[in-house]
Amino acid sequence: MKFISLQNVVFSYSDPEDSQIIHNAVDGVSLEIEKGEFIALLGHNGCGKSTIAKHLNAMLLPDSGKVYVDGDDTSDISKTYDIREKVGLVLQNPDNQLVASIVEEDVAFGPENLGVEPSEIRKRVDFALKAVDMYDYKDNAPYKLSGGQKQRIAIAGILAMLPQCIVLDEPTAMLDPNGREEVMSTLLKLNKENKITIVLITHYMEEAVLADRVVVMDSGKILTQGTPRDVFSQVELLKKHRLDVPQATELAYKLNGCGLKFDKMPLNAEECVKMLEEVLE
Amino acid sequence: MVRDVAFGQYFPGKSIIHRLDPRAKIVMLIAYLVICFCTFNYVSLALTAAFTVFFILLSGIPVKFYFKSLKVIIFIVILTSLLNLFYGTGDPIWQWGILKITVNGINRAFFITIRIICLILSSSCLTFTTSPTELTDAIERLLRPLEKIHFPVHELAMMMSLALRFVPTLLEETDKIMQAQKARGADMDSGNFLKRVKALIPILIPLFVSAFRRAYDIAVAMECRCYRGGSGRTRMKSLHMGKTDVISLVVLALVVGGVILCNIFIPSVI
Repeated sequence: MKFISLQNVVFSYSDPEDSQIIHNAVDGVSLEIEKGEFIALLGHNGCGKSTIAKHLNAMLLPDSGKVYVDGDDTSDISKTYDIREKVGLVLQNPDNQLVASIVEEDVAFGPENLGVEPSEIRKRVDFALKAVDMYDYKDNAPYKLSGGQKQRIAIAGILAMLPQCIVLDEPTAMLDPNGREEVMSTLLKLNKENKITIVLITHYMEEAVLADRVVVMDSGKILTQGTPRDVFSQVELLKKHRLDVPQATELAYKLNGCGLKFDKMPLNAEECVKMLEEVLE
Repeated sequence: MVRDVAFGQYFPGKSIIHRLDPRAKIVMLIAYLVICFCTFNYVSLALTAAFTVFFILLSGIPVKFYFKSLKVIIFIVILTSLLNLFYGTGDPIWQWGILKITVNGINRAFFITIRIICLILSSSCLTFTTSPTELTDAIERLLRPLEKIHFPVHELAMMMSLALRFVPTLLEETDKIMQAQKARGADMDSGNFLKRVKALIPILIPLFVSAFRRAYDIAVAMECRCYRGGSGRTRMKSLHMGKTDVISLVVLALVVGGVILCNIFIPSVI
């Protein structure tokens, strides 16, 4: 079995104004995630992607269907904390997930909860802070750091639990471009060097193209999935669901409409320049 | 404006005071505060005041932050010293209607001023030099005996540390909301007292709403990090009393002894 496997997951909640109305936030999603993969989960606000994120570490349990993490059913309450140790969740607002007033004490919070030996916690905290390149700030107060730095601390806090997978729910939504880049390069490094599975929920297409696989969701269902190139080549489908494509792809798509002939769609600016040169020749 | 509040902030550092065991610091603070209010003559008052100056300098934190912490309570200091000024006993040296000032009253006012200032300075020194986590850790350890009577010690400590953690965040948020409301034409600085209190409502409501939202988020984040109460939890930094803790306890004991001796041998002036 794959590392994480969602089987026909349905999750609904009742309307806050009228409890008779039931919304299906997630409506029959099946998804398999392998160890070491970097997955980007795309979709509109309210398409159910955050709900999926919370299913991956047993914060939410499916109404019907099953979620397995490393072979364990998330609805098995005795396994809840094993699952949360394996799959860490990083949320959108970095301010609201730092619990301690000192960076290193915050990073230590996870392993402390797991009952790890003090000397081992020390090692893990140092490792996690070095992995996100924030070791020099270990004695700082989080509120004095920038958004990108805070989010990296939040990632370190999860990393210190030595998870196999990190799920990030729009970790860059509240950050400036610099902070976004810091977080993205940290994630890529963790994926490549530490072999940590990353599930990144985002609505920035430029971030999604860096993933191994892109999963697009729309109104609680998976719309399409595949490599970034496969997914973003389906420009019409994405447009129909009011989703963006990376700017480079958009340009090539529009030029295609004007009579130029692109064989495949470029994903970033450099590729676009190169392909444009070829096409113009 | 709200950011001027220095009280309750922590400044990381490496001074002797920073390195003391937080339990020792709390016990010492309590003993010191008690003795502060047991000074009945100028010699013992001078002794405690000198001791305050001593540990403030030792803490290595710029004195201006201590002054900032005093700014907040200046009103209380003035009010209490005025009350004490007019409630002295003995022969009046100045009288106007029922208001009279006596030598005893002047002494009382002076003593209460110094005492409150010492109280604020010493508790500021504790919060300036002790991280909230250390502080709540220490409180948790000191209160641990109460667990026997099912007092929720861990929960209390966790709530305190979270509250302290969010002080700067919520202050920043208050600032932002104030600016946002000012940009919408809210007038907060003029009008009588009642008007100004009313002007606070459009600041407090969004602040509360956002605080609740934050509380929900932080609960989710804590659960994601496997938090499940105090049982089975370990700590990265375990507290242990060292040589410096013993020495500083001895120093404090000497000050306490000195004040008691002064009180015995020198007549009280208040």
